[in-house]
Amino acid sequence: MKRLFQRLPRTVPVLALLAAFGLARGPIEEGLRARLVAANLLVPPPAQSAFEQMRQSVLMATLGGLRPLAATYLSLEAFDHFSTKSWDDLRRSYEIVTSLEPRDETHWVAVVWHLGINATANMEIDGRLPAFERERRFKEYAFQAIDFAERGIAQLPESAAIRLQLVEVYREKLKDDCAASRVYGDTIGLPGAPGFVRRFHGYYMARCPGREKEAYAYLTALYREGKSQRKPTLIKEIQDLEKKLGIPVPQRIPEADPDRPRPNQAPRRSSNVLPGGIVVP
Amino acid sequence: MKERMSTPAVEVSNLTKVFSLGLRKEYVVAVDNLSFRVEAGEVYGLIGPNGSGKSTTMKVVLGLMAASKGSAKVFGLDSGDIRARNEIGFLPENPYFYKHLTGAETLRFYGKLCGMRGAALAKRTAELLKLVDLEGAANRRLGGYSKGMLQRIGLAQALVQHPRLVILDEPTAGVDPIGSRQIRDLILRLRDEGYTVFLCSHLLEQVQEVCDRVGILFRGRMRREGTLDELIAIEGQTTLTLEGASPALLERLRATVAEEGAEVLAEGHPRTSLEQLFIQIAERGGEENQPS
Amino acid sequence: MRPVPLFSPGRVATIASGTVTQLIRMKTFYFLLAFALVVVAAGNFNLPATPAQELSMIKKVSFGTMDLFAWLFAIVATALLIPRDQEDRTLYTILSKPVRRVEYLLGKLGGVLVVVGVSLVAMYAICATMIGVRESLFVAAEVEAMQADGRYSEEDIAGQVGLIRQQGLRPELAIAVLAFFLKAAVVAAVTIFLSTFASSSLFTIIVSILVFLVGHAHTMASSFWLHESGNSAFVRMLVKVVKILIPDFQLFAFSEGVVLGEAVVWPLVWQMGGLTLAYLAVFLLLSLLVFVDKEF
Repeated sequence: MKRLFQRLPRTVPVLALLAAFGLARGPIEEGLRARLVAANLLVPPPAQSAFEQMRQSVLMATLGGLRPLAATYLSLEAFDHFSTKSWDDLRRSYEIVTSLEPRDETHWVAVVWHLGINATANMEIDGRLPAFERERRFKEYAFQAIDFAERGIAQLPESAAIRLQLVEVYREKLKDDCAASRVYGDTIGLPGAPGFVRRFHGYYMARCPGREKEAYAYLTALYREGKSQRKPTLIKEIQDLEKKLGIPVPQRIPEADPDRPRPNQAPRRSSNVLPGGIVVP
Repeated sequence: MKERMSTPAVEVSNLTKVFSLGLRKEYVVAVDNLSFRVEAGEVYGLIGPNGSGKSTTMKVVLGLMAASKGSAKVFGLDSGDIRARNEIGFLPENPYFYKHLTGAETLRFYGKLCGMRGAALAKRTAELLKLVDLEGAANRRLGGYSKGMLQRIGLAQALVQHPRLVILDEPTAGVDPIGSRQIRDLILRLRDEGYTVFLCSHLLEQVQEVCDRVGILFRGRMRREGTLDELIAIEGQTTLTLEGASPALLERLRATVAEEGAEVLAEGHPRTSLEQLFIQIAERGGEENQPS
Repeated sequence: MRPVPLFSPGRVATIASGTVTQLIRMKTFYFLLAFALVVVAAGNFNLPATPAQELSMIKKVSFGTMDLFAWLFAIVATALLIPRDQEDRTLYTILSKPVRRVEYLLGKLGGVLVVVGVSLVAMYAICATMIGVRESLFVAAEVEAMQADGRYSEEDIAGQVGLIRQQGLRPELAIAVLAFFLKAAVVAAVTIFLSTFASSSLFTIIVSILVFLVGHAHTMASSFWLHESGNSAFVRMLVKVVKILIPDFQLFAFSEGVVLGEAVVWPLVWQMGGLTLAYLAVFLLLSLLVFVDKEF
């Protein structure tokens, strides 16, 4: 009688088929994953350090395939840290956000802007801290911004926006004209790079000690390109260099129309202009 | 219209069904070496108490369950054969169809499953709704049907593809006496139209009213089988029912019986069943409410 | 004896359309209202962010929610169908008709996929409307502000508009929706498989969600645990077994790249489609292995 119900348990063929399919798809999926990552469509798993910093809820959401939602939640949280001026918390939030979505340019731009511009500005005026501490933290935040920018550029080598944000830190906060010129130079020709970066590369080169001759050659070459490049600042910079380098008068560029307005400095970003030169209405 | 064929509608041979109880090595024998035949065109009733193996037997016949031993054939085909199922209409006990469908949609759904389409399906749907007296509720969702209506729409879906065999599991369970009567009338009508009906029930009186042959199942085994007359007639006893008999006539009859050496075992007024009485009252009430 | 076709697409279609009707009449589409609320809320975030950042955020929240709703709906809808048919004995009446069990499973899966597909299209339409409206508002405001400022050339304005458009509504976003559909299809097939041997809808839902989470995490888990020498042989073996048995849902996250604006590589999309079909075929076969002999 017992033989009647001793049928082959169904779990055996089911597990066998599952295992066979799992073994067969393994290499195919690994290949696909590599190609998707290479095409920037798939993000590799976040670094272990990022996981260690995550709270349980964020970790669960990330593991559950809700990475974009987790990243958005954390960037909203970062905005909250911005409003309370909790810069270290903001940096920690962005460490995770950029690990979760390393290919999202807006995260890199935002964190460089927050740390490099907002946090440093706050250190300049925060009366609660002694001057020495403010200065130390000012530098700390500026260098953290530079570090984020460099990591962002490594992830998105074609990004003009991250470089333009980085250059603001060098230019406005660290007053490092040589670095500003270098970054402007790196930005030339990148997709989405504004036309002014070629001129600005020259302007800051001119202010970089030891590179005046190079800057003069570069700016005059731009000048010769035609009217589109002959902005008042360009003319002013060339004229300053002509004087500084003692360029003979016949070789100098013609005097510009005296009635033309001559701003004596590069256009500064107004209060309603955000990272990447974006204007907030 | 009754059509007797040499191939039986259902042929169950030495059927045994054993269930294992979970992971423990314990078993329950639900059906034990059961054999019976349902001839084409007859109404066969399998009766027995709850847990006697009726539903299990039916499920094996329907191919919903595999036999542990033995076989079940439908019109000569193995019960697992899809062609056999095309010849079967099944109404389960307390059927729950899709509540979100209306009566007509339900019939169309099951008709389509049987390969019916278009005008033929529309015609069949209308026919069946009329047959089960649900024309008025055809466009109402089943969620709003009473138990009796559900049972009737269930019977209609069982008949949708013109099956030759109709299997009914406890067709009147939980239905009120009037609904129950309607279903019994429908079964008799099916028999008259040539369908083979195989039903399971533990309501003996109802089985008695509609079945040609009955099998009595107890603890998985067939205990008795035969026509109703064979099973319930008491050999050597006769019942005589008179109307308008005077006391003198009754006295003379008693004397004659005694002269012949026979014995009157019981005498009295025949009684109607409570069910019959209820139906009569309800029918009378219905007639009184009819607008004149 | 009347002939019965071996396999009937008509019967599959009947069960599929019955499933669609059932899910519609169960008012499952109401979740689209919840989705619309999320999108409207996301579209009205008031953040000190640039228009491009804000658009990117709206897009990510809406598409992330779309993804969540699609797979969750696929699990819940699928888990409600087969165990419920069994509990209600509707399955008896269907399987006692000339219907093959494979047709029943295919019909149920097909019905769920139709509803998931229609829901995704509806969610995409809601999303596209919100992103499109916000994009045009941002562009108009930006152009107006830059023109009013007077210092910007047409080239500068075009560059700025391009920056916003990059984060706005692009036709490639439809590929992200396709990715959600592919993932939901695999999730539904896995849930059908689980529901063939599960005893209740609740059990099916819980186990399916667990499988889904593990299917997302095992790529990360294996990259941590398989490449570290400090872990025991048991842990490494466990990770390998899980990787073999449970589908890799992380692969379907290629939608994230598409939402971020990466270029769509069509051969990879087709390959993901092929992989999805393989998953569907294998999990249907597995379901059939369990379901074909199942006794009711």
